[in-house]
Amino acid sequence: MKKVSLWEIFKIFFLIGIQLLGGGYVIVPLLKKYIVDERQWMSEEELIDYYAMSQCIPGIIAGNISICSGYKARGILGAFAAITGIVAPSFFSIILLANILINVVHYPIVQNAFWGIRISVIILILVTIKDIWAKSVNSKFTYTLFLLILLALLFFHISPAIIVILSALVSLLYSNLAGGKNA
Amino acid sequence: MLKLYFLLFYEFTKIGLFAIGGGYAALPFLYFIQAKYQWFTVDELTNMIAVSNITPGPIGINMATYTGYTTGGIIGSVIATSAIVFLPFLISISMVKLIDKYKACNVTESVFLGLRPASCALLGSIGLKLLYDTIIYSKPEWSFPFQVDYKALILFIILIIPFSFIKKNPLLIIILGALGGIIIQHF
Repeated sequence: MKKVSLWEIFKIFFLIGIQLLGGGYVIVPLLKKYIVDERQWMSEEELIDYYAMSQCIPGIIAGNISICSGYKARGILGAFAAITGIVAPSFFSIILLANILINVVHYPIVQNAFWGIRISVIILILVTIKDIWAKSVNSKFTYTLFLLILLALLFFHISPAIIVILSALVSLLYSNLAGGKNA
Repeated sequence: MLKLYFLLFYEFTKIGLFAIGGGYAALPFLYFIQAKYQWFTVDELTNMIAVSNITPGPIGINMATYTGYTTGGIIGSVIATSAIVFLPFLISISMVKLIDKYKACNVTESVFLGLRPASCALLGSIGLKLLYDTIIYSKPEWSFPFQVDYKALILFIILIIPFSFIKKNPLLIIILGALGGIIIQHF
């Protein structure tokens, strides 16, 4: 098999990064087009496997799936080229925007716009909560866990990392005690 | 300065390791960092999240780059961004090697049973806190009497009504929020 060039991997992931707007799942159709259909660096089945896996390991989903695809194409260096490519558009556009914003942020019209945008962000967060809630808070166990954590967070200052570790442990324990029967 | 870079690396490595399930999972960590180090204000952080939503690239990476840049300039943004992908990079590669042997992720399924409600609650507490800070507020925090920012309340209601039944479109809602902010604050 012909060795894929690292520059080519970087270029393709850069191209995908530019087109990524919104949630990480947007990357799947893009990977299918550029990597599975046009270049055959991996099969569609592998893409689906990597997507499922990327969601259940730590890290940003779009980042993880790029690392996996790059690794599949050209080993560790390929994975490095892929993650660098996917990160680069973010990096340059954010730094560019940050510098523009710093210069205009004192105008009242910009401040008013950002005042309104802050309310948009609250709504985006609420909609995300609704989505996760619909998919996952649906049993006595999950409902109790949700309430306990929410109350704890409202009254105490707890690191999110602690919450994640504790709930993972509680969940493992519960699943084992419930004997595999899904709650 | 060196200490700042180290703290950035440490905190964003932690986000990379513990923020599981999409870019928004990083939000509670960022608000935690805000409260702990005061590198930026809550309003600045919320603005950065908004910008991250409408900039190309994965939201989580955008947020890391932006908060890193605000905190420690170009070097800070390189450190935050590399830190957030550092451990996932190692984990992803080991998983690709394993995936042929163990299809799907059965082990993690039982962990996820509790992780999803946890991230829901983490985001929930952030959502409530932001709602409280922007629309209803009081000094000191969580005390009577409340004050209500009616302009914010009106914009919130105007924006949430269509978005409770339209599919989530971050770009659209942020543009509408900006326009709404400019119009409502004009009166």
